[in-house]
Amino acid sequence: MKNHTMIPGAVRVGPLALALGLAGASVLAATPTVLPGRPEEIAFRPLSFEPPRAAEHRRTLSNGVPVYILPSSEFPLVQVVFSFKGGRYLEPGDKAGLADMTGAMLRRGGTQSMGASALDEQLDFLAAQVSTNFGATAGTATLNSLKSNFDEAFGLFMDILRKPAFEPEKVDLYRKEVLEGMKQRNDDRSSIFQQQVRRMVWGPDHFEGREPTKQAIDSITIDDMRAFHQRVVHPGNLIIGVTGDVTEAEIMSRLEAAMSGWDKGQPVPKETDTGVAMKPGVFYVEKDVPQGQVFIGHRGIRRDDPDAIPVMVMNDILGGAGFTARLIKRIRDDEGLSYGVNSSFQQRVEYPGVFATGFTSKSRTVALATKIALQEIEKMRSAPVSQEELDVSKKSFIDTFPRTFESKAGTLNVFITDEWTNRPKDYWQTYRQKVESVTVQDVQNAAAKHLRPENFAIMVVGKWEDIAPGDPTEQRPDYKAQMSDFGTPVKMPLLDPMTLQPLPDAPRKD
Amino acid sequence: MKRIATAIVGVVLGALPALAQQVNVTEFTLENGMKFLLYPRTEQPNIIAAGWVAKVGSVNERPGITGISHFFEHMMFKGTNTIGTKDPARDREFRAEQNVLRQRILDLTMKDQYRRFRAGEIDDPWDPANDTDEMAKLRGELKASMERQRAESIVKTEFDEVYTKLGASGMNAFTSEDVTFYFINVPSNKFELWAWMESDRLTDSVFREFFSERDVVHEERRLRTESTPTGIFDEQFEAMFWQSSPYNWPVIGWTSDLNSYTMEQAQDYYDTYYQPSNLTGVVVGDFKIEEVKPIIERYFGRLSPGTKPVPPVATLEMPQQAEQRMIAECDCQPQVEVRYKAVPWNHADEAALEVLAGILNGRSGRLYKNLIEGAQIASSAFAGVDSRKYGGAFSFAAETKGDAKPEMLEEAWYKEVERLQNEPVSERELQKVKNQEAANAFRRLQNNFFLLVQMGLFEAAGDWRYINEHPRAIQAVTAEDVKRVANTYFARKNRSVAIYNRLQGLEPEDPELLALGAEVGPQMKDMVKRQLEQLKQISDPARLQQIVGQMESQKGQVPPQMAKAFDYMLKKVKDRITELEKGGN
Repeated sequence: MKNHTMIPGAVRVGPLALALGLAGASVLAATPTVLPGRPEEIAFRPLSFEPPRAAEHRRTLSNGVPVYILPSSEFPLVQVVFSFKGGRYLEPGDKAGLADMTGAMLRRGGTQSMGASALDEQLDFLAAQVSTNFGATAGTATLNSLKSNFDEAFGLFMDILRKPAFEPEKVDLYRKEVLEGMKQRNDDRSSIFQQQVRRMVWGPDHFEGREPTKQAIDSITIDDMRAFHQRVVHPGNLIIGVTGDVTEAEIMSRLEAAMSGWDKGQPVPKETDTGVAMKPGVFYVEKDVPQGQVFIGHRGIRRDDPDAIPVMVMNDILGGAGFTARLIKRIRDDEGLSYGVNSSFQQRVEYPGVFATGFTSKSRTVALATKIALQEIEKMRSAPVSQEELDVSKKSFIDTFPRTFESKAGTLNVFITDEWTNRPKDYWQTYRQKVESVTVQDVQNAAAKHLRPENFAIMVVGKWEDIAPGDPTEQRPDYKAQMSDFGTPVKMPLLDPMTLQPLPDAPRKD
Repeated sequence: MKRIATAIVGVVLGALPALAQQVNVTEFTLENGMKFLLYPRTEQPNIIAAGWVAKVGSVNERPGITGISHFFEHMMFKGTNTIGTKDPARDREFRAEQNVLRQRILDLTMKDQYRRFRAGEIDDPWDPANDTDEMAKLRGELKASMERQRAESIVKTEFDEVYTKLGASGMNAFTSEDVTFYFINVPSNKFELWAWMESDRLTDSVFREFFSERDVVHEERRLRTESTPTGIFDEQFEAMFWQSSPYNWPVIGWTSDLNSYTMEQAQDYYDTYYQPSNLTGVVVGDFKIEEVKPIIERYFGRLSPGTKPVPPVATLEMPQQAEQRMIAECDCQPQVEVRYKAVPWNHADEAALEVLAGILNGRSGRLYKNLIEGAQIASSAFAGVDSRKYGGAFSFAAETKGDAKPEMLEEAWYKEVERLQNEPVSERELQKVKNQEAANAFRRLQNNFFLLVQMGLFEAAGDWRYINEHPRAIQAVTAEDVKRVANTYFARKNRSVAIYNRLQGLEPEDPELLALGAEVGPQMKDMVKRQLEQLKQISDPARLQQIVGQMESQKGQVPPQMAKAFDYMLKKVKDRITELEKGGN
């Protein structure tokens, strides 16, 4: 054995390895050893893991702002996250894009004490990373800095949050950038697909289905952004997370000082569901590519639904588990019809989320893949899963559970989200028991109740004339399929990328 | 100057610990030649990221078997005589039977379908829709055999299932031009599971579902390459850029090759490139070296040493003699890429080229300041270094803004090049990039999985120590180095240019132009559009005013059939002046 290190590994066997009987094998490498015939025969030592409790890491500033702190001294870096409640759901209907633009302009628009270009230059010189953005229901401002530069970088970060300047030239520049991105909406099959599915699931007026038009983007003023900032970015609407090379005392006093004189405003209201009921049926949008992209689904359940855990396990067996799930076994592995197939119950806290099955397949086999997916969903509803399938799924959730908390930044994110959404305090402490208690019957009940084929909407983006009739070369009677088998297909227009108005049919390109 | 220098010293001190940071890897090599890199780290408790890299990728292929490295990656998940079957003997019979059927189909394709294709009788020799009766029958038999195999001997996705039920996660693999990398996360008490599973597939892979899996790869190709806005063009540009180097075919392979490789070719490839001396295992996470090392020895020690040398990649890229240019039309933002032949991984000039790219990138970098913000012709612009094991490239890529044309971005880039070639970069710019690189050298080490990937990639390219040494090379770069590499590599004859225009006919016609009616024929419309495109590149209102003057003086001489088009153009130029005076671009 060649050994390039100072550690004489071959003879240094730890007590644990001795206990497991491995010592002989390693000391006498030449002796043939009998390895376990199958991986299940290996004796694994138990692994004990207790999830961290948020309360133990939670502190409060004198103005009442919660701070979660998880120090780490491995690298001389500090990361601070400010999480604000609020997002796209607060936008007026005709100002879609306001939340995004406000978030971007906090970072890019300069501060009252430093011009935007000088600020970019200084942050880059300090090698500090600052990002600010607003998503659907929350906004996040993050600073990642070398410990040695932290004071200066944190000062700039607080100015960005408290005294943004929204410089008009930078706003104009960003507006143009957004419009350039908008022009590309119909270029990529996936972006057309996502747009059409969002509109179908949520309706064009829900903040999850709504998208900015050029008119909306042009109408957003600096005053609109100031008002959004004023309403959302303040200590009455804030949770902070800190990790990295800091002590609790250091960071708490730094944060206290940073809050000084910052008025605590009213917390913003929670998001509500303004979506329309989803229409079942088969819909398609034309895009000249050799592979169709398919969505099958309907609105799903809330995060705190009493069936949430059985539904999670059921979906895992159906299509959530990646390579071991039924949908991928059938559609990818057995039939070679797709590279990627999955299903998900996307959670929402305040209103029901979405059940979505998605895959891509070459035009002529889209219909067959759809048929198989629907068969598998029906099977899930009508027949019990095997005990073995259930065990694989449950064991996977339980054994991979520590990964939820594997990084400190990830753990902070869990703590902050749980506080915003009032997750029950013992949720993670009892999570594995809840998964363990799911039975075969629970899974079938969850499928029967929460998978409703009569409500399915199917959306296909691709070259319809090749997709609709199915595969003419398919010889097996049970495998013949065409799109009209699933309902009368309804053509949906492609939308003008700038106005979102229906476009006439595009001229053929050859 | 002095004041700035003081400020720099302050920050350099701040950055210094970055250089002191070392990834302390323990390395050893088994008697069969397989090397291991171990890096215990407890910051992410209870988890071990483990993987191994085969030093083989598309660069080791040849025409006829392009894509086989990537296909192999898929095959490695299909099981062994223990995993993936309930009846290994029966399963072997099925595989043999399918191999015979497939070979007959392949022979007929090569003999008859290729001939019919060359004669222009069919459009695709591989499309089952063009099958002869004999081929359709064989294809039916093949499918039937695969179905029987599924029913009688296969245990579907068992490889994944064993890992999943024992708590492993994130199992996957990737293939590049230079490497094939297999990885997973296991709970820290299950290291032996990884050793069992990986050493089993490295000693006993049977290439199950060899024929059905290539349909999956075709779907992957359709997904990544053929259904994205620029996928097929990126592939063609790469094929044009590299001339003699085997980097000129795609990792996923040419479609015809993907259809045609045989089990025998696969076995030969496996025996050659998956011998232990061509493999490196990497383990990062919550473990003790004295615990895992004996396990590695027990399990990976069972791999037989290779019997033949791994063939070297002998073909070097020939020096390029002339600029190459590709002009494409696609459903995409108009854009440009200028790509130069540059240097392989860890070449003496690599760090200087990276620093040069750093000076161009970012919101305080030159491309943003000059192309996006200053001239307002780009909506995005980026420079990057792509250093592979046997060769490398430097790229500039940008997308247009407003009415700008890709050619304008190209011109703007050459101005940046000229400046880099003639003036040394400022101390402040240089130090900024070094500061960022120093901080990023830490940020790159925060996650077990990324650590594992970096260590494996560097080791496969030459030496894992690059993870510690490269940050030092970056700090040693001088302004003079940056100027020198700009002069060495950014030569006209050393570049390839890709221009992407938006596919015409997809943008709605200007309603005013439509309103001119049939009187203005299509040819004249095209001419008008071309002229307007040229006018759009003029952004000086005074110059445009001059043009308006000329046009108005010529108005009387315009033939009547062109009058409408002429008036339309005149109006458009005036609109443009108004727009410019309002402060548009």
